[in-house]
Amino acid sequence: MEEKLSKEEVLHVAHLARIKVSDEEIEKYRIQLKELLNEVDKINEVVGYDEEMMITPIKDEALLHSDEVEDQISFEEVRSNIPHTSGSFIEVPKVVQHE
Amino acid sequence: MSTYQKTIGIEVHCELKTNTKMFSSAKNGYGDSANCNLTLLDLGYPGTLPLINDYAVTLALRAALALHCEIHREMYFDRKNYFYPDLPKGYQITQAKTPIGINGYVEIEVDGKPKTIRIHDIHIEEDTAKSVHQGNHSYLDFNRAGVPLIEIVTEPDMNSSEEAMLYLEKLRSLLLYADVSDCKIEEGSMRCDVNVSISKDDTLGVRTETKNIGSIRNVGLAIESEALRQEKLLEEGIAIQEETRRYDDASKETVLMRVKEIGNDYRYFPEPDIPKLCLSEERIRKVQEQMPMLPDDRKARYQALGLSDLSSSKLIQNKPLSDYFNLFLEDDIDFVMLSNLLLGDISFYLNRTMKTLMDTTLTKERMLSLLQHLYDQTITTKNVKDLLEEFLETDKDIDTICKEKGIQNISDTTLLSTIIKNIIEQNPESVKDYQQGRDRAIKYLMGQVMKETKGSANPSLARDLLEEELKKQ
Repeated sequence: MEEKLSKEEVLHVAHLARIKVSDEEIEKYRIQLKELLNEVDKINEVVGYDEEMMITPIKDEALLHSDEVEDQISFEEVRSNIPHTSGSFIEVPKVVQHE
Repeated sequence: MSTYQKTIGIEVHCELKTNTKMFSSAKNGYGDSANCNLTLLDLGYPGTLPLINDYAVTLALRAALALHCEIHREMYFDRKNYFYPDLPKGYQITQAKTPIGINGYVEIEVDGKPKTIRIHDIHIEEDTAKSVHQGNHSYLDFNRAGVPLIEIVTEPDMNSSEEAMLYLEKLRSLLLYADVSDCKIEEGSMRCDVNVSISKDDTLGVRTETKNIGSIRNVGLAIESEALRQEKLLEEGIAIQEETRRYDDASKETVLMRVKEIGNDYRYFPEPDIPKLCLSEERIRKVQEQMPMLPDDRKARYQALGLSDLSSSKLIQNKPLSDYFNLFLEDDIDFVMLSNLLLGDISFYLNRTMKTLMDTTLTKERMLSLLQHLYDQTITTKNVKDLLEEFLETDKDIDTICKEKGIQNISDTTLLSTIIKNIIEQNPESVKDYQQGRDRAIKYLMGQVMKETKGSANPSLARDLLEEELKKQ
């Protein structure tokens, strides 16, 4: 088994997370991420595949909400947490369709 | 003619007609001013937890049943992870592994022959915020974030743009009649993505996906232009790339959006914040029982009532008219007469005035009275044209309108007889012709009667009276 992830794998994951990584960091993550994966693999040794997948620790069925409007907040209330607004729109740097 | 065969699969997103969002109690409203329908959950605030909208599940279930799907009794939701400003929590809640419905189908008719389009699955998910791009910025409106959607995915069962358009029209009509969505493509409450590939044999070619096409007609155009583009590439020996494209209305061509991310990149995993959602047999049965009458059933019913294929189809194309027609299904009336009125003078009036039936005073009782007058021949279809506007805009009954407008009551045999006698007196030549067995004569005399009564004489009554009078001569 490989002991490290490939450089490409690390760069791919970094791209999905939209973070920049230095060459130094890449080398570090190649080892660290592989160690994490190895840990996750151990779960498979404990839990049989035939066992029902646990979605959530809560055994009850999902709670539903009735179709009535409530708990709304005004834009004014959240505006202070938004760096840039334009009218009642939230302004962000231009996002063109993915690269 | 191209030697390539097209293979087409379609994904349709439809917003559900709920009052509130899929996982929050914020209003689901189209056209409201930006960012006024919000809860903290819709903005992806940490610590907020999603709660499933009960009614959205009912509507999705209804859609799944209308598409003849098998229903998942136990469902969970999944997270589809990606970064984009329209999705602040970094994932969309969807159903990847346990869609509410699977293995359904939609029947279409291609050149008079039935064809089945298989539905791979229908699943529930949440919409993202709407972004508008302008200058160096993008502007976000979270009113749409979290609006309940169903996504309906077909198998690659269509082979022409015509089939694709027929499928979309049928699907739209099914969802409209099932009353789960208003399916307004122009407002984005129904959005179509098409997957197209071409091949010379039975193997499937590499497909491309063209996203968010703005009308059913453009879906047809997009498929044609995309197939042509692929054919040109293949003929030049260039391999097709799996990619996402969009349809450009101006150039009538598809243009590249992005080379498709591999499915794994979305890192789907079960949504741990929502426990299992279970549908009881009773709930499924209830939704099935409360299913509104769907287009195919309506058509069969209308034809059984004596309507032509064309009239039935025309009624179904206009849901408000079809719903209105259905108010009378249990009544003992002339259904052809009702359909003719609705599709004829009434539609003409509604189109001209840009009104809907709801804007008129045409209650069921008033319509029954109109039908009765026509049935008794106390008014003619010509009279209807003269009195309709007032009849649809006021509460006045037919007799009052006739009196006020001087529309003659042609059931008045005495009046008709007098008119006919006068005409006979004024036209001795024609009487002679009639006596000599010339058909033309009676036609001419009938014409005179109609002219005299300004077309309001009941033709069959007038003819009877005319013949009777002529025999006396």
